[in-house]
Amino acid sequence: MLALLVFIFIPVLAGGQWVKIFISTGCFILAAAGVAFMYARLGMVSLGQIALMGIGGWVMLRMNHAFDLPFEINLAVAGAVTLVFGWLLAMPALKMRGLYLALITLMAAGGLEVIFSTFRFPNGGEGFWGVMPSVADPFRRPTLASSDADYLRYIILAIVVGFLIIELHMRTAPGRAWAMIRRSEAAAYASGVNVVYYKAWAFGLAGFLAGISGGLLAGGLGLLDPATFRASESIMLFALMIVGGSRGWLGVLIAAALYRIVPALFNDWGIDADISLIIFGAALLHAIITAPNGLSGQLIDLFSKESKRT
Amino acid sequence: MITLNNLTVRFGGVTALDAISAQFCQPISGIIGPNGAGKTTTMNAISGFLDYQGVINWNDETVDDLNPFKRTRWGLRRSFQKEQIADDLSVLDNLQAIADNLPLSRSEKRAEVEHAIESMSIAPLANRKAESLNAYEKRLADLGRCIIGNPKIIMLDEPCGGLQQEETDHLGELILKIPELTGANTLIIDHDVDLISRICTETLVLDFGKRIAFGETANVLADPKVKAAYLGVEEDAK
Repeated sequence: MLALLVFIFIPVLAGGQWVKIFISTGCFILAAAGVAFMYARLGMVSLGQIALMGIGGWVMLRMNHAFDLPFEINLAVAGAVTLVFGWLLAMPALKMRGLYLALITLMAAGGLEVIFSTFRFPNGGEGFWGVMPSVADPFRRPTLASSDADYLRYIILAIVVGFLIIELHMRTAPGRAWAMIRRSEAAAYASGVNVVYYKAWAFGLAGFLAGISGGLLAGGLGLLDPATFRASESIMLFALMIVGGSRGWLGVLIAAALYRIVPALFNDWGIDADISLIIFGAALLHAIITAPNGLSGQLIDLFSKESKRT
Repeated sequence: MITLNNLTVRFGGVTALDAISAQFCQPISGIIGPNGAGKTTTMNAISGFLDYQGVINWNDETVDDLNPFKRTRWGLRRSFQKEQIADDLSVLDNLQAIADNLPLSRSEKRAEVEHAIESMSIAPLANRKAESLNAYEKRLADLGRCIIGNPKIIMLDEPCGGLQQEETDHLGELILKIPELTGANTLIIDHDVDLISRICTETLVLDFGKRIAFGETANVLADPKVKAAYLGVEEDAK
């Protein structure tokens, strides 16, 4: 319902600059959903999500400039390639959990950061890396959604589909297997869960979501900047996901809104966007001290109390 | 019938289990011993969580070549000292989580889960999140997990730990029903000697990783060596 309202009105109401901001917010919602389900359901901390998004974006741009295929095929390839990178990231994760796993994913993000800033993102140039100085070739958006407003609707649709995919997993065998893995590996083995297989599946799904979101971001902006995909951004997204709450879609929306919309608002009001970092820090402290389920958990509690009172 | 043949587990220089052999022929058998005797280590070895030497058989089938999750799929079930059910799943989903991984059809899985819920009389709890359950209800759900899918071996590690007397009595009754419900061989670790002597026909006694007695529970408990180990009485101080 909410998605439908947003689907109809936001693209109409928002002015030119804001549509772009909502597009990128939408992409980060999808990426944050991947980190959130890994954390909430498996108890695994992945600090490489935005770097994986960068891979999705890179593949998307590369496909766009090299071949004349439709947007959706490029997007599917971007998702699939990133899924494989997600699996690669899962390799060390099969033996580790907690802090060590988080560090490994952060290292991977750092490595990708170096690669992105060295080789940059394809913009229509020659060769494998496809970079040419200054100008960039145009990016082909889906034929259904070539204007910014339509493209935003396209992304909202993608987010709904992404949430449904996650929800479907949660309610079926993988979700139950992940919950057992989170409880303890002994519990998972005692339930007959193939721990390696289901961990790899989770990483693959999170990677796929990151790849799709990166591809959509590439479509939204037309070209990508290595600075978007720094390792520190992955940490920031994870921290904001803790603020928003990892269980459920509301927390993910809050996280992405804080991540993208708050700095943009500050820009709009003529305040230094870095001030938002101070707010994020305060929000993180607030969440850790008072809200184990994040702001979304607090909001839901508040509403359920109010509805009981009336 | 569960057969342990020269089961040995070493942690570095420590021999946690020293060539334990035993044949559990009865439907329900106990393993007792003081803290650190190797009871849980025995269960972990049977689960395949540890490297061990020796042979573990059930009737004519050997489980040694199977890794832990394949042992569960084969027919091994166990509970842990601290119940291991997932807090953010409902009781129903906790049971379903085992059925998911068994080689059964979809309708057989559902029937197994329903059978377990019925046998444990936990239908009112079925749709509640596990985090909202009390310790006793969690134990019931845990036991329900153990009887899903025609198990061959069921191991319960202190199933009644931390429960009140009447809850222990009721859980004991349910454990006594396991053989007719499933036809599995059940092994139980507990410190509650009353419980063990009530429900276990045979009992293995371990101390410092060695077998010190094995046989009919009443005989075993009367054995002076067992009394010495278990109650801290010197053997020669009669």
